[in-house]
Amino acid sequence: MGRFLIQRLLSTIPVVLGVSIAVFAMLHLVPGDPIQMMLGEFQTSPEQVEKLKAQLYLDRPLPEQYLRFVTNAAQGDLGYSIRSKRPVMDEIRDNLPSTLVLTLAGLAIAVVIGMTLGIVAAVKQNTWADLAAMIMAMLGVSMPSFWLGLLLIFGFSLKFNWFPATGGGDFKHLVLPAVTLGLGASAIIARLTRSTMLEVLRQEYITTARAKGLRNSVVIIRHALRNAMIPTITILGLQFGQLLAGTVVIETVFGRPGIGRLIVAAILEKDFPLVQGIVLFIALAYVLINLFVDVLYAVLDPRIRLG
Amino acid sequence: MADIERLISLGMSRRAFVRLAGAAAALPIMGGLLAACGGDDDDSSDADSGGSGSGGEATSGTGTGDATADTGGGAPTAGGELIVGLDSEPPTLDPHTSPSAVSFMITCSVAETLTYLTADRELKPWLAESWEASADGTSYTFKLREDVTFQDGSPFNAESIKGNFDRIIDPNFQAGSALASLAGYTGTDTPDEFTAVVNFEEAYAPFLTYTAGGPLGIVSMKAVEELGDDFATKIVTTGQFKVESYTAKDNVSLVRWEDYNRQAPWAESEGPALLDRIVFKFIPESSTRVTTVETGETQLITGVPAQDLARLEDNDDLSVEKKLWSGIPRILILNTSMEPTDDVNVRKAVSLAIDRQALVDTVFAGIGEVSSGMLTRAMMDDESLSQPYDPEQAKQLLEEAGWTGDGTREKDGKKLSFVLNVVDPGSGPPPEAQLIQANLNDVGFDCQIKAQARAPWYEDNYNLATNGPLMFLRSGDYDGLYAMFHSSLIGKNFNFAGLADPEIDAMLEQGRTETDQAARRALYLEICQKLADMAIAAPLVDEYAVWAGKKEVQGLMFNGYTYPQFGMVSVQS
Repeated sequence: MGRFLIQRLLSTIPVVLGVSIAVFAMLHLVPGDPIQMMLGEFQTSPEQVEKLKAQLYLDRPLPEQYLRFVTNAAQGDLGYSIRSKRPVMDEIRDNLPSTLVLTLAGLAIAVVIGMTLGIVAAVKQNTWADLAAMIMAMLGVSMPSFWLGLLLIFGFSLKFNWFPATGGGDFKHLVLPAVTLGLGASAIIARLTRSTMLEVLRQEYITTARAKGLRNSVVIIRHALRNAMIPTITILGLQFGQLLAGTVVIETVFGRPGIGRLIVAAILEKDFPLVQGIVLFIALAYVLINLFVDVLYAVLDPRIRLG
Repeated sequence: MADIERLISLGMSRRAFVRLAGAAAALPIMGGLLAACGGDDDDSSDADSGGSGSGGEATSGTGTGDATADTGGGAPTAGGELIVGLDSEPPTLDPHTSPSAVSFMITCSVAETLTYLTADRELKPWLAESWEASADGTSYTFKLREDVTFQDGSPFNAESIKGNFDRIIDPNFQAGSALASLAGYTGTDTPDEFTAVVNFEEAYAPFLTYTAGGPLGIVSMKAVEELGDDFATKIVTTGQFKVESYTAKDNVSLVRWEDYNRQAPWAESEGPALLDRIVFKFIPESSTRVTTVETGETQLITGVPAQDLARLEDNDDLSVEKKLWSGIPRILILNTSMEPTDDVNVRKAVSLAIDRQALVDTVFAGIGEVSSGMLTRAMMDDESLSQPYDPEQAKQLLEEAGWTGDGTREKDGKKLSFVLNVVDPGSGPPPEAQLIQANLNDVGFDCQIKAQARAPWYEDNYNLATNGPLMFLRSGDYDGLYAMFHSSLIGKNFNFAGLADPEIDAMLEQGRTETDQAARRALYLEICQKLADMAIAAPLVDEYAVWAGKKEVQGLMFNGYTYPQFGMVSVQS
């Protein structure tokens, strides 16, 4: 197990380096002079342009620029936001909790709805319930989240006035964004749960369990679901990353604070250090989640370690 | 997901599947961003500037006529809370660093300025009781009020003015629009405690207008020092409202400053503001923002998109307020240094060929009106400047200029081409570009739209590499024309016409020395007429700042820069 862990850790290094190069290259791949772009609407003196160039090390040779970028980033220094003048790390830290809460709430909703739909569809395979559950899943996958979000606002804010349309803070503000986020992800979980459940339900040990006269609910929950959970748990880790990405749209639609709002604003304002910092942060978070899932998977299924 | 099931069934290992799923999961980041940019951009006040932004004053404007959101009955009562939906989060509340209109929508009710510009463009005393310009226009003496203190208890005096202005021009300080307001500033003298003499290298008459602008809001230097970087969200001023709290990406909350002891320039009596609290919520998505004012989650919003405007205007619970922005309207600049727009007849033909009414009826439906000159009607409303739509005359002018033929015209074997330079903010070129293209092609041009990101858009303009950019410029003073048309600014912001005309230069310089308001207006009217005669640009649309609010919200006023003033606002229950 230890060797597996070390192997997996080492294998993330090229990924992290690749990400850092891509993020670093962002600044240099945009058409035009990046300084001009960043300072587009500011009134600036030549001294300030020089200062900003120096601050971003744009006056140095490329390899040195990259080395500095990586060294600083490794020490948690992602530079300063052009607009707010605050350290990028502080901006991320301030916005992260709200996004995490939203993501976790979305994940919870996705799991509850997705697994319920998936189990029902598998157990009642080829009935109307199966069809209905899979149509719901299909809709969930197909519907763009900003559209779903606006529909929910239209229904539950404008018509019924049950929940506020915007803002962060208490539970009431969390409901609509979390449902929007969770519904899309629930569809994927539903489909995966259904297919693995179907696979498991055909196994001989299920027939054995049934033959022993166990109640149907016990067979499904204790025997089938447990074994069907393994791929679902794997997908949960990945869904977490996807939900994190989904907050970019959701937070903007619902005017909710968070990393997603932060990066959209940073892009519109051409705040390059902030964009770079957030992209790097999200990419690293993604790599870590991936690693965690791989390890978790190995724990759950010993055959993986040998592979 | 069906695909993934199929891959598994095809014998793909679970780990390979995990990786593939990971790659797929990364995609929504990109897709999401595009959607968000596109959705956000058409109504964000400073993000879609078609390349404008700064200039005299990056984001300031002048409106028409003081007005209240609603004139319904009921005497204003003190107390209550107002929730306002803004279309973006301000980059900072510090008036000196912000380049962004949305900052000043908030700070104009927090920070006070030396003078106050009314909607009728009249300068009134505010922190300064009186002022005087030196004969040569390089020096401005302000007599300050003696009964003012900052919200943190520190005294307000001539040193405060010196400290504020010195801060803005400090090369180690990244100033926003404020820097242009102090162009050529050499220092402030403080002959006595309540007299501040502000000096400039050269005559700078626009400065008086700028002393009333949001970017020169006066802040407590004590707080600047003590708070450091936190000052950006906790500004301390002398105004009627104090910053209570700031929640990033969510809202900023202002509370009434009970100790405000004076009569604000717009107020009928002395003392603090009426409202207990104003909460500005940042709601970037326009559909969501519009919904909040319908549900009552907010009571007032700005940045109403054209497609929702009619619905809000039909809503009996709401009233919609439209104020013309000041400065240079949406305009098509014509490059005088490049063929074929170096020919005045071709430039005139361009202006004649554009159907401005069609633009106002479609793209700018309800949010703009036909523009008449190089300055919006809010600043210079004069019939002599109006620009006719006459494609037949355009064709005739082109014939006279030697451009002939059916379809695309030619001269000496060369096509009559026109490269239109527009900013594509990520959601495609602005729709008005296509209308203009069609109009120009109708009279025989071969118009190409060059839609690009902002940085190369600027670069083309500095190099005078296209026939003309589509742009606008918000400016609180006529002097915005200097930034647009003075020959010293070719290759810089914003002489994108490549105009080098000694007579225009001289007049623009004279405008900076002339401190008499009536004489200034006459001078700038003449400049506008001359520019129109030379067809240096085709002005298109004067845009409105649009606010929609519940009818209970009363007493909303706008200053001469088209920013809201909340001191007299009350919410009738």
